[in-house]
This record gives sequence, C-alpha cells and structure tokens, in this order.
Amino acid sequence: MAASESTRITLVSNDGAEVHVERNVAERSMLIKNMMEDLGEAAMTQSVPIPNVNESVLKKVIEWCEHHKNDPPAAADDDSDSRKKTTDIEEWDQKFMQVDQEMLFEIILASNYLDIKPLLDVGCKTVANMIKGKSPEEIRKTFNITNDFTPEEEEQIRRENEWAEDR
Amino acid sequence: MSVATRTMAMPPVPNREDLDATWKYLEAGVSKIMSNLQEGMDMNTYMGVYTAVHNFCTSQKAVSNSNHGVIGGAHRGAHLLGEDLYANLITYLNGYLKELVAQSKTHADEALLSFYIREWDRYTTAAKYINHLFRYLNRHWVKREMDEGKKNIYDVYTLHLVQWRLTLFSEVHEKVMEAVLKMVEKQRHGETIEHSQIKSIVDSFVSLGLDEADPTKSTLDVYRFNFERPFLDATKAFYQAESKQFVAENSIVEYMKKAEIRLQEEEERVNMYLHADIIIPLKKCCNTALIADHSAILRDEFQVLLDNDRQDDMQRMYNLLSRIPDGLDPLRTKFEAHVRKAGLAAVAKVAVDAEKLEPKVYVDALLEIHTQYQGLVKQAFKDEPEFTRSLDNACREFVNRNQVCKSGSNKSPELLAKYTDILLKKSASGAEESDLENTLTQIMTVFKYIEDKDVFQKFYSRMLARRLVHTNSSSDDAETSMISKLKEACGYEYTNKLQRMFQDIQISKDLNSGFKEFESKLLEPGDDKPVDASYAILGTGFWPLNPPNTDFTPPAEIAKAYERFQSFYGQKHSGRKLTWLWQLCKGEVRANYCRNTKTPYTFQVSTYQMAILLLFNENDKNSYEDIVKATQLQADVLDPALGIFVKAKVLNMTNLDGSAVSKDEAEKPGSNKTFALNYDFKSKKIRVNLNIAVKSEQKQEVDDTHKTIEEDRKLLMQSAIVRIMKARKKMKHTQLVSETINQIRSRFVPKIPDIKKCIDILLEKEYLERLDDDELGYLA
Repeated sequence: MAASESTRITLVSNDGAEVHVERNVAERSMLIKNMMEDLGEAAMTQSVPIPNVNESVLKKVIEWCEHHKNDPPAAADDDSDSRKKTTDIEEWDQKFMQVDQEMLFEIILASNYLDIKPLLDVGCKTVANMIKGKSPEEIRKTFNITNDFTPEEEEQIRRENEWAEDR
Repeated sequence: MSVATRTMAMPPVPNREDLDATWKYLEAGVSKIMSNLQEGMDMNTYMGVYTAVHNFCTSQKAVSNSNHGVIGGAHRGAHLLGEDLYANLITYLNGYLKELVAQSKTHADEALLSFYIREWDRYTTAAKYINHLFRYLNRHWVKREMDEGKKNIYDVYTLHLVQWRLTLFSEVHEKVMEAVLKMVEKQRHGETIEHSQIKSIVDSFVSLGLDEADPTKSTLDVYRFNFERPFLDATKAFYQAESKQFVAENSIVEYMKKAEIRLQEEEERVNMYLHADIIIPLKKCCNTALIADHSAILRDEFQVLLDNDRQDDMQRMYNLLSRIPDGLDPLRTKFEAHVRKAGLAAVAKVAVDAEKLEPKVYVDALLEIHTQYQGLVKQAFKDEPEFTRSLDNACREFVNRNQVCKSGSNKSPELLAKYTDILLKKSASGAEESDLENTLTQIMTVFKYIEDKDVFQKFYSRMLARRLVHTNSSSDDAETSMISKLKEACGYEYTNKLQRMFQDIQISKDLNSGFKEFESKLLEPGDDKPVDASYAILGTGFWPLNPPNTDFTPPAEIAKAYERFQSFYGQKHSGRKLTWLWQLCKGEVRANYCRNTKTPYTFQVSTYQMAILLLFNENDKNSYEDIVKATQLQADVLDPALGIFVKAKVLNMTNLDGSAVSKDEAEKPGSNKTFALNYDFKSKKIRVNLNIAVKSEQKQEVDDTHKTIEEDRKLLMQSAIVRIMKARKKMKHTQLVSETINQIRSRFVPKIPDIKKCIDILLEKEYLERLDDDELGYLA
C-alpha cells in the first residue's frame, strides 16, 4: 500500500502507549478528523491524547481503520433502511469481531467515543447477531445478566411484546 | 519519558457525574475559544473538552431513579443525557452576547460596522470549533430531541446563530442598517467607501436566516426583512428626492442621461456588495423612482425628439421606458401618429396636382417616409416587433388613405403599378440590373401596405400584357423576379395569370419559328416574298384583353400571310378558335414617295393605320367614305388614326370640294373630308412612330380597368360566400359577412353593403336560402 506518502501522527492511549498511524487512517475517526481541521498543520507534530481508550483497544480500533481506510465515505443519508436492517457483516469484519465479550464492548464504546460510525455499526450488528434467535433465558446466559424481574413484571412485558413474537 | 509528561499535562477531566464540575471545566474551554482563539488552541484542551462532553453524556448517574442496571439505559430504551449541557451552553452564550451588546453601544456608524463584523467573524469561527467539540451532544441528545420533533432544539452551530439573532441581532440590527445605509448614500454621492464591509454585513444577515420548519435549510427571511426592505426604502427615497430635483433643474434629455447612469450604477452595486437576490426588487424600485414616476414628462418629450429626429435620445428613452411595465405603449401610439402625419405631409407635398402626378414621384415620397422611420425603428427601438407593427400600421394608413386617394383607395395601387410599368419598360436610361432589382424590392415594400391588392393586380396585368405584346419589356429576368415577388407576397393564385401570360409569349416564339418553316415550304418559286411577321397566341382567359369592337378588313397585302398562319395553327391545334386582336397589331411601312429625302422614311403604324395608308398605293386621294368602305373601321377607331396622320402631315385633309378645312375642324377627320398623300412630308427622323395612343384612349383604359375591378370584386365576394356556405351549410347572416371579410381581406377591404348585395344576388340565384332566426342555408 502506498502508505509511506501519508503523514504519520501519534496517538497516545490513556495508559500512556504511543501508537503511530497514518493520518488518513486516523481520520476514519470524525473526532480526529475535525480536530485536525480545527487545529491545523501545527497540531500534527503533537501527539494526540486519547483519554478514554487503552492501548489494546486503540490498537484494535486502528487495525480496523487500517483495513477500511479506502472505504468510500458514508452516504449522506446514513440512516438508510439498508444499514439499519441488515445484520450482514462482511467476512473480514466478522473475523475481526471474533474477540472476547469484554473487548467487543470496549470496541463499541471506543468507536462511539472516537466517532467512527461504520465500526460502531459493525460492533452493534455483532451484538445483535448474538441476541438473534435466542430466548430471554439464553440471552441472560450469554451476557451474564441476572433476572431481576418479578414474575408479574415478566408476564406484563411478555404481553406487551406479544406482537413481536415470531410464531 | 515525554509521553508520560504530556499525559500528565492533560487537564484533569472532571468527574463525569458531576454537572457543575463538568460545566465549569467546559466553560473555561469554551470561553478560551470565544475570546482567545487567535492565540491558538492546544490539543489537550481540545481533547479534554470533547472527552468531558462525551463522559457527561455517557454517565449513568444522572439517570433518575433507575434501579434496573441494564446496559446504558433505563427502563424503556436508552436515556440520553445532555439537556443540562445544552441549557448551560445557552446561558453562557446569552451572557457573552449581552456583554457584546453592551460594548456595541459605544460604537456608531462605520465603527459599529467594524465592531459587528469583527465580533461576528470571531463568534462564527468559535461556533464552528464548539460545534465540533460538542459533537457527541449533537450526535445523540440533539439528534434524539429533533427526531422526536421537539421545537427550538438545534445542533450546536445553529444554536450559536439562533442565540446571536435573539440576543444581539435584535438589539443592534437597526443601528447596523443605519450605518450601512449611510455608507451607501455616501457612495451614491460619489464618495469612495469600503464596500467589503457591507458585503460582510449582507453575508451575516443571510446566515441568520433559518427555516423554522426545517432547521437544516436556510431562508432569506431575516435578510429580506432586516436588510433588503430598509435598503429598498432608502433607495427609493433617495432617488425620488434626487430625480425630483434634477428634473426641476435640467432638461429631460439631461435627466435621461442621469437616470441611465444611475440605473447602471445600481446594477454594479449588486455585483459589488449586495446579495444577488436583491437584483429584481432593486431594479423595480429604481425603475419606479427614476422612470415610472417621471414617465409622463418623458413621454411628453418624445414628440419633441421625434420632431427633431434625435435618434440617440429616442433610443435612450426607449431603453428607459422599456424597463417599466406598459412603458412603451404610449410611445408606440405617438410614433404611429407621427409617421402617419409625416406620410400624409409627404404625399400632400407631391400631390399639388393629383392628375399629373408622376407615379415615380408619388412612390418615392411614400418610400422615403418608410425608409426614414424604418431606420429609426432599427436604430432607436432595437427593431422591436411592436414598433415595427406601429410603423406598418402608420404606413398602411397613409399609403391607402391620403390626399391622392381621396376618391378611394384605388389610386395608390394604380400609381404603384404604373411606376412598376415604367421601371420594367425598355427605356433609354437603361437602369443597372442591380438597381432595378433594388427598386423592385422597394416597390414590394409599398405593395405590402396596399389594401386593394386586386387593383394593383388588374393594372399590373394590363401593363404586363402591353409590355409583352409590344415586346418592350426591359428584361425577362426582371419580369420573372417581379412576378415571383408578387407570388411570394400573395400566393400562387394572385400571379397565376401573370405567369401564364409570360408563358404564352415564350410558346409563341417557338410557334413563330415553326410557322416560318411551314411558310417556306408552301412558297412556290416566283411567289412574292411573304410579309415578315410574327404572331403571338394569347390564351383568352389569362390576358386582360378584349376582341376589337370594330369590324375590320385587313389589307390585301397582309391578308395572305394571316390566312396562312390561320391554317398553320388550325393544323397544329384543331378546334381552337383564333380571334385577331387587330387593335394590338402593328407594323412598319416604307414611304418611297417622298420627294425631300433619298432614304425612304419608315412609318411605324398600327394595323388600322397600315390599312388606311395602303389605300394610297392605289389613289393619291381618298375620301373619308372611301376609307370607311375599304377598311370597315368604325369612326371611334378610324378618326383618331386619321387624326394622327393629319397632325403629322402624312396626309393632307381638305373638304370634299377641295377647299381648306376651317380652323376648328383642323384635326377632326370625318365625313365630307378628303385625304391626300403629302409628297412633301418631312421629318428629322428616318423612322417615324405614328402608332401613338391618344390621351383619351389611355383615360378610357383606366376607367375600363376600374370598371372591371368592380365587376371582379362582386364575383370574388360571391365565390367566397359560396365557398363558406358550402363548408358550413348553415350560418348566421352577420357571421357570414364577417367570415367573408376575413377571406377577402388579403385582396381588398370589402364594404359590408356590397357583401349584403352579393348575398341577395345569391339568394335570388337560389344558391342560398333564408332560414329562421336570421340564418342562411346552402342549397346544393
């Protein structure tokens, strides 16, 4: 890849690790992109503190950005139905998301913070796929949630959502 | 390690759950951006503020009384935080802007403009930053609020604009506008101003326009209401005052120049520093103040300009008045009246003696006026179709109704046809081909205006016939060109006969050579050489000619030739009847008897004259009665023919008893007179033309033509009526009349009583019948 041409900037995770990355890769994050625009050329010599993300998550996120750096910019109408409905995930992203649950949620939080919408989407879809087709009990088990509903409450919720039952 | 120090230098992000601490932290950042951005912003503050906003919005504590610890949300769906931040930001902006309002009070006029622009730039730049820093708030809380249809929630950047408008703009816009208008007025008085300032103000006002219904769109409402309106009011007031004074002190022409410059300036002003949206209203405003308000005096001046032929000024006036609605109509009316008057005056000038009026002089007078004012329309009125129409109307009026045409509109087409005849006739001057073509084109210009085109057609065809029969047409090309011009103007039907006449002559040429061959075969050795003659076969229906109204015995000398031709033609086209138009025939005879000359004279004579002269081969003297007997000619033809001989002294006339005729009878041949050949005949020319049409004959012909026109018109109207009724079967009387006028108008303008008469004739002939209710029916 013709990455050597691109300017490199330095990101610093909240645990103090420096991560060097091409500017156009980092700019998959709208936060960084806007900041670069606002602060101008001078800012590029400074390292960028990322106070809400630790080293391992940051590296993971950058791996994703690296892979997707040439993606076309999201369509203006990014609330389109297709994006909302489909739970299809491209193969590379599926593999990318094969991480433990804790990492998965960290990635989602980081992409939300860094404002990387496509990554946030992939993360949420992954979680959605984990829920799909499961009974409440199975879901509780998957995500390690204690059931704190009283039986009455549970019955009421079931009735309210009857319309959504599959069959 | 440097990394470590930097991390530590990062301001401590406040506790995410503590609103007060968070806001305090944010406020410090925001104020720095607002007031000190030019000093640059460090990355730590940038990231700190962003992170603080993010952390606050994702904190869970603010979720009120939620005891269900489901991921990131309360009982029903996620609860988004941010309202407090949004409210605090509004409060902050309010305070900041109030401070600016207070500061603005110390400035006025241009200083106020500079202040406004400086603060506006600073504020909007900051707003862009803050919008980025509060992006997390925009993405979640603001988006949710807007999706739920809450009013008065905007993304952070727009919020800045809204606050500016509510807090600052509402307080200062009038004063700012005052300053702007003062500057513009200065510029209108010729001072140089820094107009980029006004441009910035315009841009700012435009930016403040937000569509309440859809915050993503902008409107020009704020700009229109607060800038455009006062600007237009001021412009109107300025120009009303200025123009009023200027008109009072200067001539109208000077005023027009001034107004032109002013209008130009205002147009440039829009390009220089105003919003393009103002073009139309500004133009309208200026047009009203500078033109419409003064249109009455401008129009009054138009007549003066016309009278003095001030083309440039008329053009100026045209340009000005064309900018206001209906501005030009009064000019057109005046123009039309003026051209008509000029036309009538020109005709009056040449028509001192209408009887002797030369066709050329008349047509030239018409053309001169047309050319002059067509030039004016082109120069001053941009060749505008409406003005051309006024010109046409005026020309049509003075061409058809003027002093010369007092008796009726027949005179113009008659004179025009005569002029055309003069042009197309062979003449000594021999005009250049191209000149002739140009003149013919000009003829067509006048022709276009002629209402009674049928009259022109009649005269033209008579004169064409004469040119063709007498073979004195200047050139076939010119004739063809004229016919095709008429065809173009009036259609095939109009020129059909003319074309056929032309063809007849061409065919006759071939026929003549055929006859020569036929004749030469017929001759036996020893026969006299046949008379050298040529013949023309003219189709009865196409030529405006009548058979002679006198009996005639052709002289023996030509009788043989004409009998031969008759049999030749009979062989070629059996069943066709030839009628000899003796009155149009002519020939040449050689006079070998004259004593005074060695070379014999040649007389060019009509066939009638020839028959008379040839009698004198037998006898030197013939009495009137002898001549009548020999030629069978009637007196109305014979007398003028003899009269010419007597006048030219070819023949000497005496009383029967040989005594000289009395003076008052000197040129009046008749019975009791005897004619003798004059052996002492003298002439300067060898060829003597005795075939001269007499004045009274010409007059007679004109009258005849007019009479046939009336007859033809009746037929034309009747055929039009029948055509219409055949198509419609039933029609109201009045409708039929107007439809008939429509159909015939291209030829002449029929009079309603005439049409009614024609309808009556058709009723009588039972082409039509009367039905109930004033309706007429067609009878097949």
